[in-house]
Amino acid sequence: MTYTFKLGNKTYKVGFEEKEGLSLFSIDDEQKEIEFLRIDESTYSILVDNQSITVGIFREGKKIQVFHEGDLYELEAVSGRDASQAEGTGSLNITAPMHSRVVKILKKQGDSVEVGDSVIVVEAMKMESELKASASGTVKEIRVKEGETVEKDSVLVALSDSE
Amino acid sequence: MFKKILIANRGEIAVRIIRACRELGIATVAVYSDADRDALHVMLADEAYHIGPSKPSESYLVGEKVVAAAKKSGAEAIHPGFGFLSENEAFAELCEKEGVVFIGPSAEAIRLMGDKVTARKIAREAKIPLVPGSEGAVSDVEASRVAKKIGYPVMIKASAGGGGKGMRLVNSKENFESSLRMARSEAFSSFGDDSVFIEKFIQQPRHVEVQVLGDRHGNLLHLFERECSIQRRHQKVIEEAPSGFISQKTRKNMCEVALRIAKAVDYFGAGTVEFIMDQEENFYFLEMNTRVQVEHPVTEMITGIDIVKWMIRIASGEKLPFKQSSIKMQGHALECRVYAEDPATNFLPSPGPLHYVRAPSGPGVRDDSSVYSGCEITSFYDPMLSKLVVWGNSREDAVDRMLSALREYVVLGVRTNLGFLIRMMRDPEFRKAQIDTGFIERHPELLVPEESDPEVILMAAAVAMNGGSNQIAQGKTASSSGWKLFARRVGVSGNPLL
Repeated sequence: MTYTFKLGNKTYKVGFEEKEGLSLFSIDDEQKEIEFLRIDESTYSILVDNQSITVGIFREGKKIQVFHEGDLYELEAVSGRDASQAEGTGSLNITAPMHSRVVKILKKQGDSVEVGDSVIVVEAMKMESELKASASGTVKEIRVKEGETVEKDSVLVALSDSE
Repeated sequence: MFKKILIANRGEIAVRIIRACRELGIATVAVYSDADRDALHVMLADEAYHIGPSKPSESYLVGEKVVAAAKKSGAEAIHPGFGFLSENEAFAELCEKEGVVFIGPSAEAIRLMGDKVTARKIAREAKIPLVPGSEGAVSDVEASRVAKKIGYPVMIKASAGGGGKGMRLVNSKENFESSLRMARSEAFSSFGDDSVFIEKFIQQPRHVEVQVLGDRHGNLLHLFERECSIQRRHQKVIEEAPSGFISQKTRKNMCEVALRIAKAVDYFGAGTVEFIMDQEENFYFLEMNTRVQVEHPVTEMITGIDIVKWMIRIASGEKLPFKQSSIKMQGHALECRVYAEDPATNFLPSPGPLHYVRAPSGPGVRDDSSVYSGCEITSFYDPMLSKLVVWGNSREDAVDRMLSALREYVVLGVRTNLGFLIRMMRDPEFRKAQIDTGFIERHPELLVPEESDPEVILMAAAVAMNGGSNQIAQGKTASSSGWKLFARRVGVSGNPLL
């Protein structure tokens, strides 16, 4: 079985076969024998070359969270077609990082923004945060009003890139 | 001693206070909002009263509802914890009027120390060193005049503030106006008061504070200092006791000064006098917090004195049985605040379902937590999950122990600062106690994991695809019996509720 995982902005192809109680894991033509054991609902013990690795895993469909040594990694299992799409450029839109309230909109439609420019101020947990443009471009549309409450991941300001 | 106490708080501090009460044989009453029906403090308390919607302003901040719950339950005293009503003099007065004991200082001490401007005035009269700045709240025009006079960088601070809210550092004249606007707006939304004052910004400052404890019979003691210089967004993340920086001479001076200001307001209960310190060990009074601090456990670890229990005993009228000379500090304690937040995005809170948590244990490790696998981290409240506290013979031992404990922690569902904390414990400057409040800003490399071979992560992902999703995988389980699994979980956490 071959899996394609998206981790950050990179995609990786890995192989995974189960044979006679052992699992064979391969990446870049290098194959390793691994043995894994599920300890409780989210804890897995993996032994590879006598190295003992404990990881936390949570999976919902294609989305996988892996916790290792303090850091949480979010991966997505993508099929071949999704993988090619994933390599395209990401959206420039500014989205709400969490359920929050719009405090102030600092740009108006048609304004050009540079990467790192503050575009909108939101408040959650009594903390104001300025959301910044991740690339240079133009404000295409402002989709919220000051004072409005917004849900996580909703698009607040649509940007189009400079080209 | 009281027979029943109401805890007017939530989260880990409510759990901490309930535990102290249980040890003292006192019955406990929890209060909770809509969002907290499934909270750990509700489960651990003997009684629980619903006090309204999830928004703090409609539940945990409504003094009348809390006092009504106390009277209905027959609780004789209220412990306010920190935040919420803990430094609200009107609430302390309301308790007194309704015949319920407020576990804390007098309403008068809260009033005097709660307003930073008044607190500075008292400090000035008591000849306590102060940072140069405006004498009280200022208008926009006056603010920029003072800033110009004392010279940039300056701090803008909310008069009614705390916890870094309504606070802004301004490095140059150009940013002053916008920062002032943001500080006022944040102050207003957090405290309902937009007045601010201006202060000189100390370069590479350290945050050192002294714990004081006084009874109602005039005995007032200090429990040495804590250093809380590792901060993000002006909020503490890592605290320790004692400071790994100051000399014995500075310690002695600082503790004496702290007692002097506490005495000036006839302080009783637990309180903390906060100082800002420059690299030459000059220290200036910042403020006094008239409540239990988040970081109180590190002081408990080095002195062996249970601060929360003493707050309760003092409120019931007991005398402190020890003298200053008999209080000794031993070893070194560290606390890491484990937050549901993402260090990679300037520590933005990361609310959501907490799918799974496993806390570390072992010698000298204490985890003050209020979360469990399957609970929800809502955006209504502070995103702190737990306080991981360790004790060691020396600072070096404590840092090593903290590193080891942090590496055992597992949290799935929400993003946390655990990886960042691990990298902090490995940082050579931190290990040498070369820290100040700008440390995190100077070390952005600690915020994200180092670029490394993702092999282990991909291996885990492949295992995830083969190991099922929400149920224990078929065949490849460690134990097939539900009871064995349950026993294992209890064995790991020590508490079936966790």
